[in-house]
Amino acid sequence: MERIFLHNQQLHEFLETLRLFGELHAPTLNDSGVMAFSPLRQNSDLRLDYSRTQIPPKKFLIPFREEILHYKEGRYRLGHPRPSEIVLFGVHPCDLDGIAYLDLVFLGEAPDPAYADRRARLTLVGISCEPDDFCFCSGGRSADRCDLFLVACGDGFLLSAHSGKGEAIAAAAAELLVEPPCAIAPPAASGCRVTAQDPQLRFSDNPLWDKFAGTCVSCGACSVCCPTCYCFDVREYPDLSGGGKRVREWDNCLFVTHGEVAGGNFRQTRLERLRYRFLHKYCGFTPLQGMTSCVGCGRCKSVCPVDIDLRELFEGDGMPAGGAQ
Amino acid sequence: MRERKDLPFAATLLERRDLSEDTALFRIAPEPSALKPLSAFVPGQFVQLSVPGGGEVPISPADLPAGDGSLELCVRRVGHVTELLHRARAGAPLGIRGPFGTGFPLQEMEFRPVLLLAGGLGIAPLRSLLMHLLRNRARYGEITLMYGARQPKLMLFREELASLAAKGGMRLYLTVDFAPEGPAGGYSCAVGLLPDLLKGYRFDAENSYAAVCGPPPLYRCLTADLERAGVGAERILLSLERRMRCGIGRCCHCALGQKLCCLDGPVFRASELRQIPEAL
Repeated sequence: MERIFLHNQQLHEFLETLRLFGELHAPTLNDSGVMAFSPLRQNSDLRLDYSRTQIPPKKFLIPFREEILHYKEGRYRLGHPRPSEIVLFGVHPCDLDGIAYLDLVFLGEAPDPAYADRRARLTLVGISCEPDDFCFCSGGRSADRCDLFLVACGDGFLLSAHSGKGEAIAAAAAELLVEPPCAIAPPAASGCRVTAQDPQLRFSDNPLWDKFAGTCVSCGACSVCCPTCYCFDVREYPDLSGGGKRVREWDNCLFVTHGEVAGGNFRQTRLERLRYRFLHKYCGFTPLQGMTSCVGCGRCKSVCPVDIDLRELFEGDGMPAGGAQ
Repeated sequence: MRERKDLPFAATLLERRDLSEDTALFRIAPEPSALKPLSAFVPGQFVQLSVPGGGEVPISPADLPAGDGSLELCVRRVGHVTELLHRARAGAPLGIRGPFGTGFPLQEMEFRPVLLLAGGLGIAPLRSLLMHLLRNRARYGEITLMYGARQPKLMLFREELASLAAKGGMRLYLTVDFAPEGPAGGYSCAVGLLPDLLKGYRFDAENSYAAVCGPPPLYRCLTADLERAGVGAERILLSLERRMRCGIGRCCHCALGQKLCCLDGPVFRASELRQIPEAL
C-alpha cells in the first residue's frame, strides 16, 4: 500500500516540512479571541479543531486594502509589491471552494495582475472538517481544489496531492508517512447544501425579504466575512512629490453608497440591497451567471447581529408555489 | 501579448472647449501604443479616463477617434475627478484604458431608420453614434435626433448639430424644459419635454431603431412611449450610467440584476432590462 498516512505524533514535524515551502499560516486563536488564519509562530498555536475563522482566506488573495497602481510624472505603473510564498495550512473544503470561485473571477479572461501574483505564491493545504450547526455545505467535493488535502482518519490523516506543489510537499514529507491503518472514509457533509437558484422563483415576491429588510442593520458583516464576496472600491491618493497611488479596498454592497451614481442611487433601500446581494450570491453575475458562489461556510449566519438566517429562504417557508426544492 | 486592461496608457490633454458653464469637450491624445486598442471603439462603449491624483471615471467618447488617434470626451464637472479634469491645462498628463463594454449594434442597424433621443449630457455618447451614422450615411435609413435640455444655454453642440442638420443628412428636433432667455438663439426649438416631442412625431416605428441616453427618469417614460408607438423593445437601445470602478467586470459596482453595465452594457436593449427592477 502507498505510504500516505500521517500519524498525529508526526504533525509537528510535518508542519516543519511545510515551512520549507513558504511562510506558514494556519488557523489560530488570536489575542482578541478571534479565530483567524495567521502566521503560525509556534506549532502549538495551531487550532485544527476550529469550526471557521472570522475572516475567510480571501484576505491572502485580495487584501483589505492594496495598492494596484502608482504614478509618477503622470504615468501609471502596476503597483503591487511581489508577494511572498505562503503556505496556508488547515483550510476547510468550503473555503477551498471559495478560493476556486475567486479564481474564476480574477483569473478568467483578463487575469488580475495583483491577484494572479498572490495566487501563484499561495500553497493550499486543505483538511477535512466536521460540520456544525451553522454549516450548510455539501462537503467532500473540494478535496482536489488545493495542492494537498488531509482527511482526518483514526489517529492521523490521509494525504492526497492534487498539484505539482502538493506532490513536492508529499515527497519532502515522505519519511513521516506510513501505510494507512484505516480505510478512507467519505468526508463529512452538512447535508443541506444550497445550490444555484432560479432568480425568478426565489427572488421575486417572497415575503421573507421584507422580514429580513426590516431587521437588517446594513452592517455588512455578512459580506466582509463571506469567502466569495470580492467587490471593491478604487481610490487614488496623491503624494506631495507629485506622484501618488491607486488603491483598491473591500467594498460592501449592503452599504448605501454602493449603488450611487452622479445624482442618484439605484439601490436606495435596504430591501433592494439585501436582494441584490443574495441574487448575486445565489444566481451569479455575468459571466458566472447561473453559478452559486455560496459555499455554505456558515459565516454570514454566525456573524449576523440580528440573526438573519438565509436558509429560511431555501427551506420552503413563505415560498411562492414551486419555489422549494 | 495579453490584452492590457488594468494599466492605463499615458495620454495628454490637447485642448478643451467649453460647451456650457459646467460641461466641456476635452480632446486628448493617447500615447502611440494606445491607438490600436482605442481604434476598436464602437459608439456607445466607454473608456476609463484617469486624472492623476484624482482617480478614474468612465466616459463614453463623444466621437470616434480622429485621424491622429485623438479622442473627444464630453465631461460635466460633477465630482472629484471631473473637477480636477476641468482644472487641468493643455499638456496635462492623463491616463486612458479601454474601450470597454458593449456599444450600439451598428451592423444590425444598417438600412434601418434610426431615432436618437438625447436628454442633457446624454447627447455625448449619442454624438459618437450620430457621427458614425452620418459618415456612413448611405448605409442607414432616415436619421432623426431629438435632443432635450433644461434650458437653451445648457444645450450642448447646438451650432454643430444645426449645421449638420442643414446639410440634410438628418432631421433635428430640439426642445428645452423652459426658456428664460426667450427663443433659443434663433434656432427652431420647442419648449417642453422630450416625450412631448416624440408624441407628435410620425415615423416608421416598426422598422426603426431608437437609441436613448439621458437622465434615469427619461428612460422609463421614453421606453414606454416608444413601445406604444410600435418600436420593438429589442430595437430600443438604452445607454445606461453606472459607477464603473474597474470597467472590466470585477468590482461589481455597476451591476444591474445579474448583468454588469461594464460588460453587458452600457448599451442595453429595453427587452433585456424588463426583468430587472433596479435597471431604470
